[in-house]
Amino acid sequence: MEHTLSTLDTGMVGRSYTIEALSLPLKIEKRLEALGMTKGTPVVVMNNKSAGTLIIKVRGTRLAIGKGISANIQVRS
Amino acid sequence: MTQQEEEPVTGCEVQQQTENGADSAPKTLTVAFIGNPNCGKTTLFNAYTGANLKVANWPGVTVEKVEGFVMNHGVSIHLVDLPGTYSLTSYTMEEQVSRNFILSDEVDVIVDVVDASALERNLYLTLQLLELGKPVVMALNMMDIVEKRGMEIDLHRLPEMLGIPVIPVSALKRRGLSVLMHAVIHHKDHVHPDRLIHNHSDKSMHKHNHHSEFAMVYSDFLEDKIDQIKNHLRVRYPDLGNHRWVALKLLDQDADVMKRFPIHDEDTLVDRSYETEIINQKYDFIEEIIGEVVVNRVEKVAATDYADKILTNRWFSIPIFLLIMGVVFFLTFFIGDYLKTFFEQGIDMLSGLAKMGLESIDAGEMLTSLVVDGIIAGVGGILTFLPNICILFLSLAFLEDSGYMPRVAFIMDDIMGRLGLSGRAFIPMILGFGCSVPAVMASRALENKHDRYKTMLVTPFMSCSARLPIYILFSGMFFPQHSMITAYSLYVIGILVALIALFAMNIIDRSHQENALLIELPEYKRPSSHTIGIYVWEKVKDYLSRAGTIIFAASIVMWFILNFGPDGYSGDMANSFGAWLGQLLVPIFAPVGLGYWQITVSLLAGISAKEVVVSSFAVLYDGLNINSTAAVSALAVTMGQSGFTALNAYCMMLFSLLYIPCAATLATIHSESNSWRWTAFSACFQIGVAWIVTFAVFQIGRIILN
Repeated sequence: MEHTLSTLDTGMVGRSYTIEALSLPLKIEKRLEALGMTKGTPVVVMNNKSAGTLIIKVRGTRLAIGKGISANIQVRS
Repeated sequence: MTQQEEEPVTGCEVQQQTENGADSAPKTLTVAFIGNPNCGKTTLFNAYTGANLKVANWPGVTVEKVEGFVMNHGVSIHLVDLPGTYSLTSYTMEEQVSRNFILSDEVDVIVDVVDASALERNLYLTLQLLELGKPVVMALNMMDIVEKRGMEIDLHRLPEMLGIPVIPVSALKRRGLSVLMHAVIHHKDHVHPDRLIHNHSDKSMHKHNHHSEFAMVYSDFLEDKIDQIKNHLRVRYPDLGNHRWVALKLLDQDADVMKRFPIHDEDTLVDRSYETEIINQKYDFIEEIIGEVVVNRVEKVAATDYADKILTNRWFSIPIFLLIMGVVFFLTFFIGDYLKTFFEQGIDMLSGLAKMGLESIDAGEMLTSLVVDGIIAGVGGILTFLPNICILFLSLAFLEDSGYMPRVAFIMDDIMGRLGLSGRAFIPMILGFGCSVPAVMASRALENKHDRYKTMLVTPFMSCSARLPIYILFSGMFFPQHSMITAYSLYVIGILVALIALFAMNIIDRSHQENALLIELPEYKRPSSHTIGIYVWEKVKDYLSRAGTIIFAASIVMWFILNFGPDGYSGDMANSFGAWLGQLLVPIFAPVGLGYWQITVSLLAGISAKEVVVSSFAVLYDGLNINSTAAVSALAVTMGQSGFTALNAYCMMLFSLLYIPCAATLATIHSESNSWRWTAFSACFQIGVAWIVTFAVFQIGRIILN
């Protein structure tokens, strides 16, 4: 299996990704971390509107995140 | 109160007992409810206190701390419901407020309300609470959902792993309430965990066996650091109860704690933030707990996934949303109007009876007029709209409790993003269809102050339930064939004006900030009849009390200023104080098609509450029977003769939609912004927008129609 790095906003529906790094304003980063989105956490993309607004599932929780966030989350597929 | 058992002295952390403990005179026990957003805290709080605080299925419904008192097992208990939170960091104001409150001496016991159906996420907050060094009891809510999904939670193992009592409750079905409070009372002095049994495979080289002391034990590396910092803290702050928590927060480089408890050698001990490690290790432990405690774990919750495939679909989501709002509107108008006829007959009868009664006791013309033409016409006229209001709130309650609301934030995120806001700002706007007051308050859920103010400014443009009577009256009067589509157009215009205003603000204000959407999407659920019942009843009560107070008073005031003039009581309204006041405003309102003193005086009165526009109208036209179709169409003809056409009527509705919603909304804007300047600006902005839009419609309409 090939490992490729990308940002989460390009994530495909139904696929699972692993978080590599967050590069967001501190406040948002901390909120995401509190929700368990730390490095190495698997994320499943449930829905992806063309603009990068996503529904993801992390540690059993469904979250809606905007493009501003998803484009700044590096993931490994 | 008897102490359950003596705590083994572990020698590490001894919580300073500020009060002289259990055997003093009965003291009120303060219990704080804390938990993730949308975990059922408020439902639990309501179940205990009998309060009817609003509950819905989206995160962020409770925005401020609420208190109540109960007696349980002979102990007086002070309950505090805190806004939901995922963590106890100090990055947001709300979290800091909640954290400082539960850390204060005021709180005796923390009740951690946990959504059993989302145990993994909820336990993160639990682990943080356990570190505070306060007695914690877990209320495991929503066990019925867990059972329904065919899962099981090992209620024997969970307390062993956490070291706190775990009480299964059903807030909605009011089960386990007494047991939970009993545990709270017994546990109020237990600052140390109960017996902990962990089966960790890795061998620790750390010198203490923390696994018997703390539920959450970190790696040897972190534990060594914690010990070192604790030694410093013990010297410098010997009275501090929870050294371990402060040490952890220093390792987190928590700004608030670093400021309050500086230590020597901070730079060498805390060379960087260890927050990520601390979070990761907590989640590792959570995974361990889940693995042991949750039986039959289902990864996929098929129903919600399936519903989301349709409701949040890339192409269909917006049409479906519009369709849903259309159905809400249709129900409100169509079914509401059908039920309204029964109310009208009732008010008609009452009016007739009152008139007969008053005449039979020779009450005199003036008093009869006050009661029949003033109070019954004004207040009664408003009461007939109750069915419409009821259905509107019933529909909104259904949307809120089903879990659809946060999806709307997702659906609207693209559009709102172009206007410089996150999709989350759309939630207060939808709530604005119900009532502007809670809608303005709901804007608090937006983290960014900038966004909050923008949202507060445009939320009153959403057509609230109090404007409904105006639409029903005027569209019925002047657009009898197309009354529903006329009213619907006003709802749409309200949304459009709000969006255009946001668009304009986004262009003017170029200080671009991060407005990224981040919201949890709960599972869909069948709305609870109990929750909806409370919701609708609260709104109906509110409506009735407004009818009994503001509208009642406004009707009397209107009757006075319309029936009294410089010459005292007279039946000639054209010569009354009201007419004089209205005439003053006529020049301003003539360009927007509303240059009639009757209209201007009603609009002025409508600032007290929007329904008053209609009740004033009833008083104005001498006890006009709003409830009789014949009387209303006769009035339309009369008004038509004075040049007030359908276009003027539409302008009237439009202006009512857009100008200051009501005094209560202004008061809310003031309390939320804490600024008179902003409140005044907001009021002027709304009047200005109302005038400009109505002006454009009236002038263009006139050109087209002529």
